[in-house]
Amino acid sequence: MATTTKIGLEIHCQLTGAKSKLFCRCSSDYRGKAPNANICPICAGLPGTLPLLNQKTVEFAAMITLALGCKFPDEIAFYRKNYFYPDLPKNFQLTQYNAYGITSIGVDGRLEYGNGKDARIRRVQLEEDPGRLVYASGSMDTSVYVLIDYNRAGVPLVEIVTEPDFADTKDVRMFLDKITSIIEHLGVCDTKLEGSVRCDANVSIDGGNKVEIKNISSFADVEKALRYEITRQRTMTSREIQVRSETRHWDDARKVTKESRTKEEEQDYRYFPEPDIPLVMLGSEFVSFIKQSMPELPDTRKERFMSKYGLSAHIAQVLIGNKELADFFESTLMIYLSPKEIANWIVTDLMSFIDERQKEEEEEEEEHSLFAGLKVGPEHIADLARLVDQDMINRATAKQILGQIIRTGEMPSALAKRMHASRIDDVSVLAQAVQSVFQMEQAAVQDARRNANVANFLLGKVMKITKGKADPKVALEMIQKKLKED
Amino acid sequence: MPIYTLEAGQVVQGIKSKEFSAEEYISQLFERIEKVEPKVNAFVTLNKEEGLDRARRLDKKIRDGEQSGPLAGVALSIKDNICTKGMKTTCSSKMLESYIPAYDATVIKRLMAAGAIIIGKANLDEFAMGSTTEFSRHGPTRNPWDISRVSGGSSGGSAASVAALECASSLGSDTGGSVRCPASFCSVVGLKPTYGLVSRFGLVSYANSLEQIGPVGRTVSDVVSILNVIAGFDENDHTTTNSSKPTYSLQERKGLRVGLIKEFTEGADPGVSKMIYKAAETLENQGCKCEEVSLPSVQYALASYYTIATAEASSNLARYDNIRYGFDMNPEGYEWNSYFARARSNFGDEAKRRIIVGSYVLSSGYYGKYYLKAHQVRSLLKREMETLFKKYDVLIGPTMPILPFKIGERIDDPLKMYLVDIDTVVANLTGMPAISVPAGFADGLPVGLQIMADQFAEQTMLDVAYLFEQAAKVQRSPEL
Amino acid sequence: MVVTREEVKHIGWLAKLEMSDAELQRYTTQIEEIINYLNKLDTIPLEQVKPIAIKKKFSELRKDSPENFEDAVLGTGYRKDGFVKGPRMV
Repeated sequence: MATTTKIGLEIHCQLTGAKSKLFCRCSSDYRGKAPNANICPICAGLPGTLPLLNQKTVEFAAMITLALGCKFPDEIAFYRKNYFYPDLPKNFQLTQYNAYGITSIGVDGRLEYGNGKDARIRRVQLEEDPGRLVYASGSMDTSVYVLIDYNRAGVPLVEIVTEPDFADTKDVRMFLDKITSIIEHLGVCDTKLEGSVRCDANVSIDGGNKVEIKNISSFADVEKALRYEITRQRTMTSREIQVRSETRHWDDARKVTKESRTKEEEQDYRYFPEPDIPLVMLGSEFVSFIKQSMPELPDTRKERFMSKYGLSAHIAQVLIGNKELADFFESTLMIYLSPKEIANWIVTDLMSFIDERQKEEEEEEEEHSLFAGLKVGPEHIADLARLVDQDMINRATAKQILGQIIRTGEMPSALAKRMHASRIDDVSVLAQAVQSVFQMEQAAVQDARRNANVANFLLGKVMKITKGKADPKVALEMIQKKLKED
Repeated sequence: MPIYTLEAGQVVQGIKSKEFSAEEYISQLFERIEKVEPKVNAFVTLNKEEGLDRARRLDKKIRDGEQSGPLAGVALSIKDNICTKGMKTTCSSKMLESYIPAYDATVIKRLMAAGAIIIGKANLDEFAMGSTTEFSRHGPTRNPWDISRVSGGSSGGSAASVAALECASSLGSDTGGSVRCPASFCSVVGLKPTYGLVSRFGLVSYANSLEQIGPVGRTVSDVVSILNVIAGFDENDHTTTNSSKPTYSLQERKGLRVGLIKEFTEGADPGVSKMIYKAAETLENQGCKCEEVSLPSVQYALASYYTIATAEASSNLARYDNIRYGFDMNPEGYEWNSYFARARSNFGDEAKRRIIVGSYVLSSGYYGKYYLKAHQVRSLLKREMETLFKKYDVLIGPTMPILPFKIGERIDDPLKMYLVDIDTVVANLTGMPAISVPAGFADGLPVGLQIMADQFAEQTMLDVAYLFEQAAKVQRSPEL
Repeated sequence: MVVTREEVKHIGWLAKLEMSDAELQRYTTQIEEIINYLNKLDTIPLEQVKPIAIKKKFSELRKDSPENFEDAVLGTGYRKDGFVKGPRMV
């Protein structure tokens, strides 16, 4: 049965690119520090302290605003969201709010995210992260007291809220990939750090009530949570049960959305403007400054790769899909300018090694740099490309070489030299090897007579038997000749 | 004359010229405090050892011929809602019973750098919310002129300690009149600076868009000396202005134009308004031109003040959940909502009332009706005052509409208590500076003259204050 | 009734203030009187107004250089392994 689904997103992105917190001089890097070792009177909410707005965070939020096509107001302000909670040192959160005029840094934007689809951005705003609650016995329900760590309190966040413009979870995934690419390119957030990007979602089907889903801890989980919730709603409507408008929590352990724990009295945040933070005037000079100084956006970079280096749209897209990849590409070009050749090596061969290694690591659930564990840098690829361009080695050999140097870090030209020195082009030795292979792989030999490509398989076997020392060109010729003979 | 009666300026001079030592001075003060404190109750905490230690170190400096600051040796009391590192800061509340700040307020740093000696923390209404210092858990501060009467508030301890000769000067805070009211009731000088002139970093917030730290002294000269030390931009308070550090002086000016706000004088007790008309005469005799003026939006001022102040207070006081600091109450055994509610039941009545009123006016549906309208009144008042300041240099009136009343008289009627602020809240709502100078006595009780000026026009305001003070010669000390 | 007992009770919950029945009664009466007075503001027509008067330029904001606060910040004695001990969550 066809249903229309409307999904909206609320993304929280820590500005890990800023060195200090949003309203105080404490380091914004709280990970791995002893509890309550990264606090000061301001972020701990001591009496008499005043918030001091961090200039860099405004700059970063403005860059995100521009990247998402939003408009700037003339001035921005901060509001207090008043509620009590043990992770909130002041028992209010400093955030931005648009009910009585625009105070948040960006409104009314639009982002194209792939396949000609786009989503409207309702607003972009700055706000502070609360502290962290830890449960002594491991769970909220059984701990007789809670443990509070304020290290994270006051860390700067940018919140991005979209209109409910997504029709399915695939679109959501594409959009989140695009967002990740943008914030990485802008250098405002390292998305690989645990907890640096979170995403809440809301979903309704067939014009029914909207359900908010909170407590989704990573982009990867958004799809799972949404799929579960959509199924839940579809099941209900198919049984003619009305879906209630509510907030549900994503339970990561059991992979379900749950009703909110308590039937609370109605919360009332009593928003009012923070008197200790002056209105910050933006204006056209500010906007120009941001435009000029911000790093290149992924889409712009893609255009440049296509026009300047003649890369195809597909290859350019793969490169900018991950900033590290695109950076690697341009670093390689600086050493040896052969864009198409190098792009190819990166996108095809290097990427497959990376994918392989990432699959191994999926269980660890940790994200590393793309190239972690691989001993290859731009200089290796540049060297490799040059060897191929100058016809010093053939492509097959080059692939072999890449496979080896990834583990050893040796320069391709050095390895090629060694291989060449120990190359077997003594025809009689090769003939023996070919003979052995033909005997062992009789089925393959039959196939090869019908399908010429299978000769490569036989070549592979010859290379194996000769421990890689056979000259592949010569060996292949011998194989092909032999196939024709028998 | 005993040296504890000296003004700040005379103390600095005396110590510098070795007429007496700082140690002598501070010791005498502590003797005085011991004698009169049982009657006045101006202090929450005394800082005797450290005070004497600093005095001795200053004496050594003087002996060694080293440079000493502009307030060297001056004994100050500090309202107990201003953070002093290492010294208990309680805001006269159970909620901060054992709180010792980890940092000094900016004004404290500046005063210490200028050589001042802090001899104790002064009593106040809990969290600065009140007009009589009766809402303190340390008992009310009594008026040195008549100890059965209130000293005013919320900086009652500041004004009383200065009037009772327990210190040379004091720092208070003024949100709706809390420096000027007790100054008026105790016959001393109290000043509220322009909003943004003095850093609030370290001032425990009650209503942050309205309040300023202000000096209290026995003379205009003393108040000016302190203002010169504490005023000026602070990077730790983004609401302070960026202009270069101001310096104020005592100067003679003729031909100043004075507006007498009729809504204030007409609304005051006859004894009070009589003194104010007399003050206006005195000014005219000194070459000023006095005229009656009207400030029509005054009728909304109190409603506006109590809306904004309680709204901000309800949020500023939310942090007192007793988790990070406060008093000793073990969290184990409680669910967090109950712990918070139980701990916070230790606020006094007036604090609780203001938290509830403030939450009410901010709550869903009421924001436009109260909070936004209250801000509109601020704009209205500001426009009216600015129009007047085009024609007049200063605006005057009584600081308080009544004489100091008996302790306990208004304590059971919150609204009746609020009404005494009618003359003082205007300056906080508009952010403009205001000063109270002793105008004389009616029925033996002090009356204060309030002088207001335009934003950052402190010098003009001080000119009139100084002129009046020299002509009226009101100052004398109560018998204690 | 301008302000009801229920409203004051709800605000007590919002503001985390425990009140005895006697206090609730007393405060409700007093607060109703105060709110009545504040209703004076009803007589002014509502116009557009900006609550914050102070403005700052982007260039005047705090520069992003981190600093460690060296002294002890927290006053409570209820700690465990550096964490602050708080009441249980359920």
